[in-house]
Amino acid sequence: MIGILANLLLRAVVVLVGAALVTFVLLWHAPGDPALAIAMARYNAVVPADVIDVVRAEAGLDAGFWPAFKAWITPLLMGDFGRSSVTGRDVWPELLTAISYTVPLALSALLVGVLLSVPLALVATRRPGSWLDRGAVALASIGVAIPAFWLGLLLILLFAVQLGWLPAMGARTHAHIILPALTLGLGVAASLTRILRSGILEAREQPFLPAFRRRGVAGRDIERDHVAPHAAVPFVTVFGLELAFLLEGIVVVEVIFARPGLASFLVSAIGARDFPKVQAVVLVTAGVFVVVNLLIDLFYRLLDPRIGERDA
Amino acid sequence: MRSVITLICVFVGLATLGPMLAPYDPTQIDIPNRLSAPSAAHWLGTDAIGRDILSRLLHGARWSLGLAFLISVTGLVIGSLVGLLAALGGRATDWAVMRVTDTFLAFPELVASVVIAGLLGASTGSLIFALTVTSWMRYARVARGIGLSLKTRGYVIQARLAGLSPWAIARWHYLPSLLPSLTVVWTGMFARAILGISALGFLGFGVQPPMPEWGTMLLDARIHMRSTPLQMIWPGLAIVICVLAINLSGDALRDALAKQEDRG
Repeated sequence: MIGILANLLLRAVVVLVGAALVTFVLLWHAPGDPALAIAMARYNAVVPADVIDVVRAEAGLDAGFWPAFKAWITPLLMGDFGRSSVTGRDVWPELLTAISYTVPLALSALLVGVLLSVPLALVATRRPGSWLDRGAVALASIGVAIPAFWLGLLLILLFAVQLGWLPAMGARTHAHIILPALTLGLGVAASLTRILRSGILEAREQPFLPAFRRRGVAGRDIERDHVAPHAAVPFVTVFGLELAFLLEGIVVVEVIFARPGLASFLVSAIGARDFPKVQAVVLVTAGVFVVVNLLIDLFYRLLDPRIGERDA
Repeated sequence: MRSVITLICVFVGLATLGPMLAPYDPTQIDIPNRLSAPSAAHWLGTDAIGRDILSRLLHGARWSLGLAFLISVTGLVIGSLVGLLAALGGRATDWAVMRVTDTFLAFPELVASVVIAGLLGASTGSLIFALTVTSWMRYARVARGIGLSLKTRGYVIQARLAGLSPWAIARWHYLPSLLPSLTVVWTGMFARAILGISALGFLGFGVQPPMPEWGTMLLDARIHMRSTPLQMIWPGLAIVICVLAINLSGDALRDALAKQEDRG
């Protein structure tokens, strides 16, 4: 077990360093003069060449690739994301503010997803092939195919423009989170329902279940002790995928609903070519991704000990 | 497999014939007729500067479906080669290649493509690049898994010992096993590419105006949500129908494969 843990941790570290390198390479090779972009964003005017050179030296862009990478990664290892190359302020506090808008949205979307999908999947699998089951599958299939930005626009059209029940733009009150959370949550619910349904159906076909039944174990006990744990395995895996889906959905949903979260932070940083900010967002999302996947991998092995034996 | 092939034919037909069926030039501006409701002359109405929405939708198929096809097939080729390299190279190669794959997987696709497309500057070229770079990893994982299991099969070892060239082995022993599973992955990635293109278009990083692309059309329509909400419905509906069709045919293919495996 310790060997597996060390192996997984090593993998996570390699991936994180790789992610940092990829991010840096990308920004380094981006076309256009980053120093010019920074200077224009900072002074809001046409800037003379010598000012651009000063900006270039300040941002550490005049050294070669590796010195610049080293200068960037060393403080990063201490948790210092550097300063915005446009405003000169520390990136971390601003990033934290953005995260404080994004995390509640992600969590409430997950909540909506779980609350909708678990009952739906349970009802659907009670009698597979019934019209209820077919309806749930159809609904989930359509839900998966709807792009988050279109669903968001439709919800705004219905609940904010036509009915006027809910606020759509910004994040001033708690009610502002309902529409974006619903937009993301419906997508999550759709894919979770699909996975959960096929997970339950598959778990019911395990060869040892008829044996239990013939020995007189109650149907409810079989469902709880043998079907549920089997169905939980794909559910946990899918949580990793859901996280990816959420992070992607959040990009468009925050823009549609004008929420000042991580995605708006990223889009405006890209526009201003504020490299430290872009790097920080990309690294934080990649970091969350890697850590969550690591946890899922561990949890997965706890749920299904056979996995560890297979690829240890 | 047949459902997927039919679907590809329909989509290719739509992307090539669609523009010919369009009643108007999709970029032709007609200010007096702006934001008009659906009528006999304009079946789906007109947009903010009087362009025919039906024509734009049909021309948009070329961008949305055509680009998605290009991107997902490129990802398929790159990913399969990378996966086979990992499976058939030594242990060290395998480890290194798979860590690179993991690294690319660590970025959520849309976040990565927004960053790439945003930094490269908004254009169709950077859209293609951004979505291709973020789309090969799943194929690589599947191809590696199948490659690893095939490598030790008796018939593959025998073929190698019999002196068959690596190319012949790849063609006759690997390809038939790889193709069905990779096609299932491909249908999923094709659908994702359509969503990705429209999402980037919607964020302003994708296909540039006046070219009609479904995501960009949604971006335009959004401003006029109050006056002409219908304008916002059509491009979204087009995306949903295409993605749904692809997903369903992918599911059918996957189920058929699972049945085949049960029998074999």
